Amino acid sequence: MEYIGEHLLPGRLGHFFVVLSFVAVTLSCVSYFWATHRRESAEFDGWRNLGRFSFLLHGVATLGIIGSLFFILTQKYYEYQYAWANVSDDLPFQYTFAAFWKEQQGSFLLWSFWHVALGLVLILRAGKWETPVMTVIALAETFIASMILGLYFGDFRLGASPFDLLRDTMDAPIFAQADYLSNIEGSGLNPLLQNYWMTIHPPTLFLGFASTIVPFSFAVAGLWLREHKEWLKPALPWSLFSGAILGTGILMGGAWAYQALSFGGYWAWDPVENTSLVPWITLVAGIHTNLIARSTGYSIRSTYAFYLLTFILILYSTYLTRSGILGDSSVHAFTEMGLGFQLLLFIGSFSALSVWLLLARQKSVPAIGKEEAGTSREFWMFIGALVLFFSAVLITGATSLPVWNKIVQQFNPDYVGAALKDPVAHHNRYQLWIAVFIGLLSGVAQWMRYGERNWPAWQRKFSIHIAIAAAAAAGLSALNALWLEVHAWQFYALLFAGMFTLSSNVDFIITFLKGNLKQAASATAHIGFGLLVLGILGTGLNKKWISSNPFAMEGLIEGMGTEEMNKNILLLKQAALPMLDGFEATYEMDTVVRQTREFAVKFRKMDKQGSYTGEEFVLHPNVMYDRQFSKVVASNPSTQHYLTHDIFTHVSSLPKAELDPEFAKQQEDSLRFEPYEAAIGDTIFTPKHYLVIEGYTKQPRHPEYKPEKGDLAFGLKLRAYALQDTQGFSAEPMLYLRPGHGGFTLPGNVGQLQMRVRLNESSMTRWLGMEENLNYQKIPMKEGETVDFQGYKIHFAKANRKITHPGYAAEPNDIAVAADLEIASPEGRTATASPVYLIRNNQPFSLKDEVPEMGLHFRFENIDPKTATLTVSVAKASSEDAMKIPLDIAENAPRSDYIVLEAIVFPGINLVWAGSMLMMFGLALGMWHRLFLEKRK
Amino acid sequence: MKRSHIIAIAVVAVAIAILISASKDVTTYANFSQAAQSGERVKLVGQLVKEQPVEYNPEKNPNLLAFYLRDDAGDVRRVVLHAGKPQDFERSEQIVLTGQMNGETFEAADMLLKCPSKYKDQEVYVRSEKG
Repeated sequence: MEYIGEHLLPGRLGHFFVVLSFVAVTLSCVSYFWATHRRESAEFDGWRNLGRFSFLLHGVATLGIIGSLFFILTQKYYEYQYAWANVSDDLPFQYTFAAFWKEQQGSFLLWSFWHVALGLVLILRAGKWETPVMTVIALAETFIASMILGLYFGDFRLGASPFDLLRDTMDAPIFAQADYLSNIEGSGLNPLLQNYWMTIHPPTLFLGFASTIVPFSFAVAGLWLREHKEWLKPALPWSLFSGAILGTGILMGGAWAYQALSFGGYWAWDPVENTSLVPWITLVAGIHTNLIARSTGYSIRSTYAFYLLTFILILYSTYLTRSGILGDSSVHAFTEMGLGFQLLLFIGSFSALSVWLLLARQKSVPAIGKEEAGTSREFWMFIGALVLFFSAVLITGATSLPVWNKIVQQFNPDYVGAALKDPVAHHNRYQLWIAVFIGLLSGVAQWMRYGERNWPAWQRKFSIHIAIAAAAAAGLSALNALWLEVHAWQFYALLFAGMFTLSSNVDFIITFLKGNLKQAASATAHIGFGLLVLGILGTGLNKKWISSNPFAMEGLIEGMGTEEMNKNILLLKQAALPMLDGFEATYEMDTVVRQTREFAVKFRKMDKQGSYTGEEFVLHPNVMYDRQFSKVVASNPSTQHYLTHDIFTHVSSLPKAELDPEFAKQQEDSLRFEPYEAAIGDTIFTPKHYLVIEGYTKQPRHPEYKPEKGDLAFGLKLRAYALQDTQGFSAEPMLYLRPGHGGFTLPGNVGQLQMRVRLNESSMTRWLGMEENLNYQKIPMKEGETVDFQGYKIHFAKANRKITHPGYAAEPNDIAVAADLEIASPEGRTATASPVYLIRNNQPFSLKDEVPEMGLHFRFENIDPKTATLTVSVAKASSEDAMKIPLDIAENAPRSDYIVLEAIVFPGINLVWAGSMLMMFGLALGMWHRLFLEKRK
Repeated sequence: MKRSHIIAIAVVAVAIAILISASKDVTTYANFSQAAQSGERVKLVGQLVKEQPVEYNPEKNPNLLAFYLRDDAGDVRRVVLHAGKPQDFERSEQIVLTGQMNGETFEAADMLLKCPSKYKDQEVYVRSEKG
């Protein structure tokens, strides 16, 4: 069948680039391999140049794929499955990036892109290391490029192409129509991903992932060429770079979780978080052994092992997150694409290569026979690296339980599988000791020297500074009791270790480096670690739910356990409720913009005596609905930041009627509405309340009403009171007619009185019918003239070509004129009106205007061009009866004007951010130092 | 003995100690009857019984959710969770719980939902936690 409107060119081009990219990088890998293999022969240059050329070609092709896919996404070519599934017409442009790398193919492309960028730098800078290093990078790129090939070999599919057509991936009757494209729309991007974190977090994290291949490749190169010492120097700045970037990427993930998602924290020991943290830990261990190896010649083997392991762990992490194996244990969303086998092959090949190289070269790796001295820096640094390795093993082991289950189930289908009872508690319990050891070791080792240089003389200085650090740490830990509540000895140990490395490293910068920050990379990173530990203690131990009111809720709550369970609080609209810690919260209002409903919640802080302290702030948590407004898909937090703590809030639940329109309709139907009738200014008495009809408006406002051009809308302004009460609550029920859609009524709610008021069909007929009861009188007028109508002075100011009438929607070829009228009543009040005369498709129309407060209605009937006279019809609403509007009132309506709020105080959260950023800064400083400062010496 | 040997022995000893102590943190997937027998904290996978009522009255207690779950063996039990009701709860196609039996009721400490999504091939997970 010939389909109409499809754009097949970008897809074909993209597919061509996909194949080209794969072929070119395979060629590059082979060429670089031969270049390295024949590095001492005359063939070297030829092979190397071919390797370079084909890698560049691969780079161009990769950019071509990215460009084609991006083009398809921005043009919203829904004939492509990728565009259909990830974008929609109303998706703002800046989220195209998020849509691009949301899927596996896009994120593989992002990874590939960074490999290409890093490869180019290496071609320019790596010198003699270029050919072996690029062989490895090209090999990894071959695997990654194969992930998006989308080629079939019989039933086996190699890779998943991002350029698949929707009609090829889905079997639906709509594709029987040649013009199916005009009937489909994109599904759009999950609102959870529509934020700037999704734009900046993945590129950073993937640069971190991609950069771990460089130390890996240098390690392979060292083993391959048997140059076991030479590779250590060029590899180090790359490892530091990788450590800084990967760490920043992970940190951004934590910040995203904390600031934009409602997880209630920055780290949840979720498998996805763990598997990105573990390679970072082994990389940092490798950086430490690399430093040892460079300075002393010890630990070359462990440096090899750590760098090789790091990249394999990156691949393992990729496998875990992309194969769907974590299904039961992770909160993250995964797309399973059937690439499990290819990913396993990727890990298998690189692991086999690493193990084989390590074994084959085992004998030639130089090892120093004499052991490290117990008072040398290298010894304790090595112990530190070992502790880090331990941490990595523990986290990986626990996170891999689903993998273990799957393996056992292959042999024993009855095996039910094991899982962690409480992952957070488990990891915290063990990683706490890792942190204690790292804190102590990094505080001590900083004051030691490589090869225990001049130890007898240095010993005294060492002891003094360690004693100072220990004393300072003890003092600070004691002082800390003022701030934190520490309730177990293990946490005191962690507190002390954090304070110790903090004091020791600050002391080191001051006394030893004399404030020379250029050389303070390691000390800076270790200070960062100390601060991070303090921040974790603060946020972890003293995180406090203030959204609780044991007194107000007492007796009301069934099945209530301990008070700690009480983490959520119900806030009725405009009713202040005291919470813990002297806070009082009021849910003030809600507004709907696009798919987001934002709530304003005001916090006021009281002192111990219960009087207002003057501290108040308003937070705006929101929920996002799907595009049909049929369900809530995301609840986004809002946080008040202070230097010492944050107050984090999010809406944890809403009334069912707000979540589920279906239910809201049922609820509405089950209400007992009683009919009433009233004119403007009347008062209606119901059994429990009375209402004053204050007026009406043709531009009503309602949270659920989004005005469109062409709407005819009518809203009633009223104020409701309880009998014997003077406090009134306003409400504005409305109805509107939308051309082509029909009439709609939106009720006005007075939650406080459990009252609901709505206009009904007869109000609509009455409102439209008002017109019929009017007795129009035709008045010819010229510009500037004033006429008298039943005592009202009507002045025709001018004929206006600019139409501001709310009911007017411009169309091409319209001829439209408004008559700008100024009216003065006998009592001296003034008003304006602008009825419109319109010729559309040779048909005359009149759009009326009115002055409600005077009861005057105007129609612009025609224009006589010869005499420049126009005819305006004027009518005055004759009797009050004609103005009576029927309305329905229900009492005892279930309240739906509340939110369930969770509010948490996070003390010391800024220490977490500052500490971890300082760590990354330390790594970056180390890289900069080694790249640019050491050379000059 | 060389220092490296001492370290190696220490590492192995610590590893064994951790493995033994960490085995307490591990539980198996179970169904209601197994959970009742063992009386321990277990992981349990099942489906929401949509014919039975889901009790959540935030006006009374925003931290109490009760519903009926059918486990893999087909048994139905009442489940109580002391947390707010996650959005999308009714649409879940699979629920993973951590908790233990208390009489005829399963008391859950943690819940993970697997929901079908209108986004093709994609699953959205929503977690609510007692913490």
